[in-house]
Amino acid sequence: MQTFTEKYDLLGCIQCGRCTGGCPVTVRADLNVRQFVNDAYDEDKLEELAKLAEIWDCTACHTCAVRCPKGLKPLEVLIGLRTMIVESGKVEPTVRDALQSVLLEGNPWEKSRATRSDWMEGLDVRIADPDEPVENLFFVCCTIAYDPRVRAVAQNMVKLLNKAGVDYAFLPEDESCCGSEVLTLGEEGLFEMQVEDNTEYLNEFKAERIVTLSPHCFTTYKTHYPDLKTPVVHYTQLLVDLLNDGKLSWKGELPKKIVYHDPCYLGKQGGIYDEPRELLKSIPGAELVEFERRRERSLCCEGGGGKMWVESESKKERLSDTRIKDAKELGAEIVAVACPFCVLTLEDSMKGLGYEEEMRVAEIMELLGELMET
Amino acid sequence: MKTFVCIKYVPDTSEAEVKLNPDGLTVDDSRFSFDINDADNYAVEESVIIKEAQGGEVTVLSIGPKKSEVMIRMAMAKGCDKAVRIEDDRIAAHDPLMVAKVLAGGLKDQEFDLVLTGCMANDDWHMSTGVALAEELGVNHASMVNKVEILDGKVKVNRELEGGLMEVVEVDLPAVLTIQTGINEPRYAPIRGIRQAQKKELNVVSLDDMGIDAAAVNADASQVVLEKLYIPEVESSAEFIEGEPDEKAEKLASILQKGGLV
Ligand SMILES: Cc1cc2nc3c(=O)[nH]c(=O)nc-3n(C[C@H](O)[C@H](O)[C@H](O)COP(=O)(O)OP(=O)(O)OC[C@H]3O[C@@H](n4cnc5c(N)ncnc54)[C@H](O)[C@@H]3O)c2cc1C
Ligand code: SF4
Ligand code: SF4
Repeated sequence: MQTFTEKYDLLGCIQCGRCTGGCPVTVRADLNVRQFVNDAYDEDKLEELAKLAEIWDCTACHTCAVRCPKGLKPLEVLIGLRTMIVESGKVEPTVRDALQSVLLEGNPWEKSRATRSDWMEGLDVRIADPDEPVENLFFVCCTIAYDPRVRAVAQNMVKLLNKAGVDYAFLPEDESCCGSEVLTLGEEGLFEMQVEDNTEYLNEFKAERIVTLSPHCFTTYKTHYPDLKTPVVHYTQLLVDLLNDGKLSWKGELPKKIVYHDPCYLGKQGGIYDEPRELLKSIPGAELVEFERRRERSLCCEGGGGKMWVESESKKERLSDTRIKDAKELGAEIVAVACPFCVLTLEDSMKGLGYEEEMRVAEIMELLGELMET
Repeated sequence: MKTFVCIKYVPDTSEAEVKLNPDGLTVDDSRFSFDINDADNYAVEESVIIKEAQGGEVTVLSIGPKKSEVMIRMAMAKGCDKAVRIEDDRIAAHDPLMVAKVLAGGLKDQEFDLVLTGCMANDDWHMSTGVALAEELGVNHASMVNKVEILDGKVKVNRELEGGLMEVVEVDLPAVLTIQTGINEPRYAPIRGIRQAQKKELNVVSLDDMGIDAAAVNADASQVVLEKLYIPEVESSAEFIEGEPDEKAEKLASILQKGGLV
């Protein structure tokens, strides 16, 4: 067995502190990831470290990994410590229930597998069949499939694809969670099983590409599924191609000031910064403005890293609140995102701050859905 | 300490619409997720906590289908040592007395100090199987238990009564305790633990294997005849009162007056 030090290459660290220096949660929590990288070198100390509450503050935004000059992924040390807790079974009940739901029902939302495709009701959706080759195979994501707030992302996508005459198919209800949050919650064994099962399942289909709706699925498939045969793209990439081929056209106008929030999993981890902006720029009448902290420096919304199931103890301002206040300062009327978690966290803050009258948080597909010619 | 813990595999009816099968006697469960009964999850945790403190052995006992084995393996991953799964279509499963007879059959010739059950099953809400089991076994019982303290040859338990009242009783062992939710915080069963639990002993038995006469526990033996299941019609509807606050108040007052409610 690899030691902790070997597994995370702890000896590679030069203790420069760039990781902690860029970590967005340091403004509201006690997390000092550099210190963990330093201390975890002492194997005798690991159990003690794993008990520190801060290990659950990390949002897996990957800023530390992007900034580390030695190419380390400091956050993985925190996840490794979470694994120790998960394997002892003594996790928060919310985390326990989410993980168990992934095992039993294939999603972390404690929903029944049989209802996974309910979002398709009333829509003319083409369903994938392993015997029928297809160009674009769509992977929906648990959150988009089950959460009524973001279902429109998938529903509008179906309408758009039908209209544009794209060769596509959606996976049937036996689609299962990609494991993004299972991985960051530290349930290593379950994640390994998911990678095995999903690889086998997805490899049965003959597709030119797998199109993911959530950047969490996108990054997870791209970085953690070495044996997946089919290349994976994010939907914004496909739509920009369609746009450039003249297959998408919008009716009416949306004369609003829109600011785009780079989701960590799409930008910092997926390297996709321009496609969402191109889509927004294509909207007639829209004015695209930019946050000061954007692209690689984008502020995390705190929705990743399993934080949907772990409440922060910190009473200091949420990063999503900071983000919405920044948007307000810019005079933005719409905060556009391309991630279901960002929609949920940012909208929560927008409502909490009482900006409902003058501001809106929307997934790009929601905006495009309203502009589609039907 | 030798403990048995009785667990049931139940559907979660909170997320999908409840529909009946054409026979009018069973529920269409094709769209539900299934999991361990809520109270039983706490009973499993309590049995493991007792084992961790006192030593001994915990055996899981469950009447249920093959697909419920994932639930049994999860209990084993948490620390239960072995399991018996009873599967037999002839059992009158709608009658808690018949179920108790079968569970008692599973405990026949076994030494035990404690049997833990949940206080209530989420699907049929009988709240009687555990107590009936104590009767069948001829041992003491305490129901609605939300604290357990093991003493010498007996157990001191808190029982949660109506209105927040707490009753503390001492019960001689062996005994059956029906466990209330909230007694502890059930742990998570990690996948690696579940994998390791595959090596633990799980026996699948029928009524014949247990030496139980089916005629004593089948639908004919049961005093309870399931006549029909139906979904009650909604008899009243909600009315949304619109308007300015003073208009709303006026309308509400007149509705209450007309209805003879004030
Ligand atoms: C993690 C870590 C901890 C350390 N802890 C200690 C310690 O506790 N005690 C200790 O004695 N030593 C410590 N050291 C070592 C010490 O910091 C270095 O030896 C020393 O800083 C090296 O100096 P330097 O000028 O080569 O580079 P740096 O100190 O890195 O200097 C770079 C900076 O100098 C300025 N600079 C350099 N060149 C120019 C230029 N041409 N024009 C204008 N400005 C310039 C710039 O501001 C630049 O940012 C530590 C080193 C590390 C990596
Ligand atoms: S950025 Fe990398 S090298 Fe620097 S302290 Fe953090 S982990 Fe170590
Ligand atoms: S992933 Fe983000 S939140 Fe976690 S330690 Fe790194 S910078 Fe901080």
